[in-house]
Amino acid sequence: MIRSSSSLPPVEVSQSSSEAIQPPLEVFQVISAAPLDMVELLRRAHHPAAGAVVLFSGEVRDHNKGRAVDHLEYEAYQPLAVKMIHAILAEATAKWSLQSAIAQHRVGRLAIGESAVVVITAAAHRREAYEANRHIIDRIKHEVPIWKCEYFHDGSHQWGNNCNC
Amino acid sequence: MKIHVYATLKDYFSSEFELATVAHNTDELKRHLVQLNDQAELLLNSCRFAVEEGFIDNDYKLKENDTVIIIPPASGG
Repeated sequence: MIRSSSSLPPVEVSQSSSEAIQPPLEVFQVISAAPLDMVELLRRAHHPAAGAVVLFSGEVRDHNKGRAVDHLEYEAYQPLAVKMIHAILAEATAKWSLQSAIAQHRVGRLAIGESAVVVITAAAHRREAYEANRHIIDRIKHEVPIWKCEYFHDGSHQWGNNCNC
Repeated sequence: MKIHVYATLKDYFSSEFELATVAHNTDELKRHLVQLNDQAELLLNSCRFAVEEGFIDNDYKLKENDTVIIIPPASGG
């Protein structure tokens, strides 16, 4: 996960009077083998200049195209995936003047109901927060080298092609 | 030249292997890979190629000691 502003490497969005309540700059993981901690991610997204915070969680469904899904596995080409997610967050931060932009994607085995990806956007108003959030998740799904393999109840498995969720 | 493949490409190739022949660009590399497994041809045509942290196109001159990453269409989220 990162908190990103309009330039790379990610830096804290500048503040004035509110600086004291902001967490210090950290370099967050954008790819995680551990379960995603949505509460902690959301806590980090709050910003005094943001009147709207949107959180999207992509979660593991128990079915796909009529087939019962047992679990999923995700893999990533991490050197490139990390770089691309940072760039997507930075671009969205600049375009929609976001106060916070956070994304974290799981890798490894995921059970039904687990969160595979979280995107959080915080902006002054909801329109920007919603639009930026959708833009970020769409680009992560379509562009970033992360792949899903579905394991079905019948014992078969199938790698995902383009996004179908 | 080392080749790393991901996701559905692992149904066609080992995840990491050494290519005995030198490929000078991605088109040549694709031809070599199709010779290894012609079932992968359609998929390879929709893949992107990367060296280290950057995508490359056919203009990139591959070197013998490059590790080429072959990237199928993304399906994250």
